[in-house]
Amino acid sequence: MSIERRDFLKGLGVAGAAIAATGCDYNSPVAIPAPLNFLEDPFVPYENVLPYVVQDEQLVNGVPDYIATRCDECPAGCGAVAKIREGRVINIEGNANDPISGGNLCAKGIAGLQSTYSPDRFKGPLQAGAETTWDVAAAALATAVQGGGVAWLGRYRSGSLAALIGQFMRAAGGPALMWEPLGPDALRGAVRTAFGRDALPTWHLDDAHTVVSFGADFTASWISPVEHARGWANSRDPAHGDFVSRTVFIAPRLGNSGVLADVHLSPAVGTEVDVALALAKLVAGRNGYAGPALALLSGVDASAVATASGVSAARMEELAGWLAEDRSVVLPGGPTDGTDPGALAAAVLLLNEVCGNIGRSVRFGDEQPTAHHANTALVLTLLDDCRSGKVKVLFIDDLDPVFNLPPEAKAAEALAKVGTLVVLTNEPSESTLPNAWVLPPGSTVEAWGDGNVRTGHYTLQQQAMRPLFGTRAVGDLLLAIAAKAGLAVAAATPTDATPTDATPTDATPTDATPADATPADATPTQPVAPPVVRKRLPMGSPELLGTSPSALMGAAAVATAPAAPPVPVPGLDAPDFGSYVKAWWQGVVWVAAGQPGNFEDWWIQALLHGGWFQPADATGADFQLAATPKAAGKLSGDGAVNLVIFAHPFLHDGRHANKPWAQEVPEPVSSWSWTTWAEIHPATADKLGLVRGDRVTVSTSRGSIDIDWSPSPAIRPDTVAVVLGNGKTTGGRYTRYGANPMKLIGAELDASTGALRFTSSRAGLAMSSEKAVSIPYIGSMDMTDRPINYAVSVEDLGKGEGAGSIVPMELPELDPRLVAAGIHDMYPEPDHPTYRFAMAVDLNRCTGCGACMTACHSENNIPVVGPEQMKMSRYMGWIRLSRYWQGEGETPDVRFQPVMCQQCSHAPCEGVCPVLATYHNLDGLNAMIYNRCVGTRYCANNCPYSARRFNFHTFRWPDSFNLMLNPDVSTRDMGVMEKCTFCVQRIRAVKDHYRDQGFTVTVPPEALDELTACAKACPSDALTFGNAKAPESKVSQKFDDPRAYRMLGELNTKPGVRYLARINHIPSVAHHQGAGEGGDEGHGNLGSTGGEHAGGTGNGATSAHT
Amino acid sequence: MNDLTYGAITRDILRPLFKPSVAYLGLLGLALSVMAWGGYCWYVQLENGLGVGGYQPPVFWGVYITTFVFWIGIGHAGTLISAILFLFRSKWRTGVYRASEAMTIFAVMTAGLFPAIHVGRAWNAYWLFPYPNQRELWQNFKSPLMWDVFAVSTYFSVSTIFFYVGLIPDIATVRDKTTGFVGMMYKQLALGWRGTDRQWHHYMAAYGFFAAFATPLVLSVHSVVSWDFAMAQTAGWHSTLFPPYFVAGAIFSGCAMVITLLLPMSRIFDWGKYLTTWHFESLAKMCLLTGFILTYSYATEHYLAWYSDNPYEWGIFAFRATGAYSWVFWIMVSCNCLIPLVWWSKKLRTNWVVLFAVSVVINIGMWFERFNIIASSLAHQFDPASWVYYTPSWVELGILAGSFGWFFVWFLLFIKVMPSVAIAEVKELVRPPLKADGEAAA
Repeated sequence: MSIERRDFLKGLGVAGAAIAATGCDYNSPVAIPAPLNFLEDPFVPYENVLPYVVQDEQLVNGVPDYIATRCDECPAGCGAVAKIREGRVINIEGNANDPISGGNLCAKGIAGLQSTYSPDRFKGPLQAGAETTWDVAAAALATAVQGGGVAWLGRYRSGSLAALIGQFMRAAGGPALMWEPLGPDALRGAVRTAFGRDALPTWHLDDAHTVVSFGADFTASWISPVEHARGWANSRDPAHGDFVSRTVFIAPRLGNSGVLADVHLSPAVGTEVDVALALAKLVAGRNGYAGPALALLSGVDASAVATASGVSAARMEELAGWLAEDRSVVLPGGPTDGTDPGALAAAVLLLNEVCGNIGRSVRFGDEQPTAHHANTALVLTLLDDCRSGKVKVLFIDDLDPVFNLPPEAKAAEALAKVGTLVVLTNEPSESTLPNAWVLPPGSTVEAWGDGNVRTGHYTLQQQAMRPLFGTRAVGDLLLAIAAKAGLAVAAATPTDATPTDATPTDATPTDATPADATPADATPTQPVAPPVVRKRLPMGSPELLGTSPSALMGAAAVATAPAAPPVPVPGLDAPDFGSYVKAWWQGVVWVAAGQPGNFEDWWIQALLHGGWFQPADATGADFQLAATPKAAGKLSGDGAVNLVIFAHPFLHDGRHANKPWAQEVPEPVSSWSWTTWAEIHPATADKLGLVRGDRVTVSTSRGSIDIDWSPSPAIRPDTVAVVLGNGKTTGGRYTRYGANPMKLIGAELDASTGALRFTSSRAGLAMSSEKAVSIPYIGSMDMTDRPINYAVSVEDLGKGEGAGSIVPMELPELDPRLVAAGIHDMYPEPDHPTYRFAMAVDLNRCTGCGACMTACHSENNIPVVGPEQMKMSRYMGWIRLSRYWQGEGETPDVRFQPVMCQQCSHAPCEGVCPVLATYHNLDGLNAMIYNRCVGTRYCANNCPYSARRFNFHTFRWPDSFNLMLNPDVSTRDMGVMEKCTFCVQRIRAVKDHYRDQGFTVTVPPEALDELTACAKACPSDALTFGNAKAPESKVSQKFDDPRAYRMLGELNTKPGVRYLARINHIPSVAHHQGAGEGGDEGHGNLGSTGGEHAGGTGNGATSAHT
Repeated sequence: MNDLTYGAITRDILRPLFKPSVAYLGLLGLALSVMAWGGYCWYVQLENGLGVGGYQPPVFWGVYITTFVFWIGIGHAGTLISAILFLFRSKWRTGVYRASEAMTIFAVMTAGLFPAIHVGRAWNAYWLFPYPNQRELWQNFKSPLMWDVFAVSTYFSVSTIFFYVGLIPDIATVRDKTTGFVGMMYKQLALGWRGTDRQWHHYMAAYGFFAAFATPLVLSVHSVVSWDFAMAQTAGWHSTLFPPYFVAGAIFSGCAMVITLLLPMSRIFDWGKYLTTWHFESLAKMCLLTGFILTYSYATEHYLAWYSDNPYEWGIFAFRATGAYSWVFWIMVSCNCLIPLVWWSKKLRTNWVVLFAVSVVINIGMWFERFNIIASSLAHQFDPASWVYYTPSWVELGILAGSFGWFFVWFLLFIKVMPSVAIAEVKELVRPPLKADGEAAA
């Protein structure tokens, strides 16, 4: 058969068309997304929608937006900033405008991002386990609410949501209990008794010469950790004041804050109250206190207390001297401390009163209103009402009472009796019972909201991204129910809607009388619900991140503004919660601000700013305690040891247990992850024959748990401490580790405050037949006298030589001819023309909180490896928080040290890589080309800091965690080495920003100070990033501090990270006598110090070449 | 030996070449299955990542590098015996050098697998070779691992050529005894060898040249391998002692391995006439010498660590002897320093059972020596906060076993297809056949 030319061309044309058609099919319209009715289709993640069919006008691909919002991971109420890339929040950081967070955020807050993307999230409303729709749910609940017997049990809420809940419950005719399992119930009760105020004072550590804590884990889990960490660090920092505070911990164990202590006193369990009173008596004897508290101290016998508690009288005298002579702050126990938490809190308040701290370091005025907070006693009563059938409809707002209450409370049984149980939660918990309505409210970044935890402190929470799933915010749900049920729509007055009015606290739940809360003269006009405003800002916008609050917020107008007509606050007929929030702000916050200017403009500014902050002035309060606090509670049971329970710094009471970052980042003190452990004194462990890898059984009459153990040289030998947070039986996939110590204790209440007594039992302790699944991450707690972590005693500080100086490195003497020729170093610093990126880590400010590690995970897409891999110490986090116990007994001297890649100028890792996957760049970074790495791992062997991490497997997030990945950072597959590069993507972004502005100059130093994720996160500002070539940069100034040294400096790797020694009040233990720092400087190693700088920091420059 | 004839020698030495016995097939099958098991383990590792190993950061090197160095060390003895002893005209090499050289080639081949097994991305292992590529990537010649690549590949190619050159006259002998397809193969391999004076003249020149060429490589390759450690600053590795210490250790383990391999061959093939007690005694003396150097090196290392007052060095050496890895250390000391001392007794070093047992003990000890160096140093790096304890996983041990399978497969195939004793050279030692001997000598 012959083919004609024309036939051939015809055939060619047909075939070509067919191929072309197939090609088109690849981009066929099938992939076009569904219409924007995602809320109606709740079970499909929004992920499959192509985002930019219609692109947002303001959006530039690759350029992140920052939206001011707030952190809702604990009740502290920090302001936050959400970083958004292409429509998704990928990072959460502190908002610098917010006075509580101070621009930083703790580990819990940063890990809060994972609550948004958790794969275990409910994708939509469920009724008894079956999928339903929001309309059906709202209608059913409206009917149920109309039937009466409604009650609310929720976590602490504030601002407009608290107001709305209050309105709703008043209209529905039921009590609203806002409760925290680890809330400061005892302290609140003690404050009410001692000062007659329904408020928590704020604790100011900044200017305290002595910080005493009776167990409060103030930098990790107590009330406002970020603020306290910053305050504590300031009090320790001689650059902040002219003093270095002493830190004293009085508790049977040392928690995350406890290990910061210079002095640890561990009185016999049960005698803490007496110790506080004895101290108060001694202080009063010294400082001549003659106030109302003096009468209460007449019966206190300090020497008898010394005998009973085991704390030496001399120690108490010494401490009393410190407290009497200078400014101090005494922190009460945390919720889990003390056998009688109420009495302990009262005694500590008394001690503060005697020390003269009330109104100075323990302030009212900017207090936290707490009248709407319920204590555990009320919750137990509510459960009784559930059991008796009085409660027919119960809303549980983001709490897990079944997990968080002791088994004696029989919470599960009580909840099961409730006809309509509504659990508002995003993830499964032990309280999402089979019969419950599970109505997921969505995460903080998916909804509007606000916060008002303190007088004069209002944060705004913008909807930073579309809800990932078919969720509906609590406020929207309540409004929908109210509309369907026809609940009272009358608006309240501004004062009426403040959160203090939201719940009747003093009444038992059944006594709640909602009717009187509805004012008769309510203005019927409703606020017009305006369109919700979302404002995006380009990176580094000064409007958001730099300007002072008062300039923007019209604070000056407060005093001068004419009395404006009252602005109505919203009611239950608001169209949606976003409008409600805005109307509430108009009616409450704007009015509180003095109605400056135009509300719409002010509102936009508030959104940009993250809220309105005008902390009230510090005031004191009248001390009116009538009776001497007395420890009456005894430990029950007859076990061999006292059982103490404490909050996990990351998992808290267990609410964060389903966040892999919170689980995996090793807990700083024990360095355990993914488990529950018991702290045991080494002597006790020896008696039981425990070795690393064993497990222990802790048992009481209520039950027993089988858990890991951790040696703690600081805990009392007669005490065992068990961490809370793990051991959920039903919960997300990451929560099924460890055991719940709440099983061990009874539902015993503190008589005076209604708080739960966590320290109420003795327990038996025995070696378990089980073996540990994992091991602690940190290998040895003994530094073995290596030049790694230095401390300087206060007495030696600034002397510059002798014991006060640090000797990281002594170079051998060079030939005088070389010195004459200007050669001071066989290995001179490489050329860094513009930048030498560097970091200063102030160990004196580091609290070991773990925020840097968590932030690094979030920023750099660092995988989580799980307990089995952690057992192989294959933690992937780029920062290791080393922890060394240097002291013993009453002077524990525990040293934390974040160790990241030190960005050495002469990096041992670089020379040994056969394929040049790691190299030194012109900016001083030890850069890493992941794609070039073949995985010989030679670099990691040769890194003396053990800072490199290897991908032993390909670690992948399950859907939908993958949506939180930072698109600026590649994810790494198995076989590739990785490590810290000082967030090089952020460096590139800021450089590009300045280049795009047409600047030819270098990035100004102040734009770099907190550039890296870890430095940005650090609540105590221990980490400072910057350009060491710029002498005016903060990091250069830190490098010039006499305390600055290089880890393992004698290896002469010339690292870009320098540590500033911790300042101790106990004698220095790591001194190298008789030499100065001289060898460290003077050979042009790090930019700013140049070639001529020779020991100018006051150190004995003893090296021959300077 | 002088009563042997050329014909008898040829017959004796070529005996293993024909008709595999059941025992042989069984051994080969065993080696193949062990090798297959190792291959499966490698597959598991390629599929899942290196995490299937027991690595505990900062212990990033473990069994694979240990085994790599072990096989490189084994690969030392062959060329040493064939080249250096040839140049020194040491007569006892004649009987043993062929098998030792084969051992060298196969040991280096085995070792050569381990860099690929060891790296995280084996599929990219070729990036270690400098070759022109359009990505304009180039290697880092500062890295001792690069030197390794060159040292090992050079050593392997030179040893292989030297080995082959030495084989040519014997291949020709086999060629003359075979027909058909097999004969064709030998014919090709014999490169037209006819045994003429002219050929012998060139042959001896070439052989001498390659011997001279290979000699420095024997010393260089393990020195370079030792730089993998000595160039790193890891305490316990960073030592100028390493090159001579590693070379001595390599010869020590290589000679022991020759004994381990040749003693059974000598018994099985009834080669007592060619592989005499004298040969093994010489090897044992070699082991005594190098073992003494090794013991001295161990002592020096510890002394220097103590004398330097360097806390990291001394920390490591104290840890090795007394810490969690002390069991490895004492295996090493017993196997390498103490047990071989029995060879000082002539009675014992001529006893074949003792010879064999001690040689195996030395091999075990030398593997643990490398493990001791690698694991203990990395497990106790500079910062105590990162101290760990590493134990190998089943995958690593499987690949270690598989490497022996791989080695023995090659070695068994070798003794089946090539004369394991140098026929031509053995013939040089006996009285040449004279016409007067008649047909019997043919």
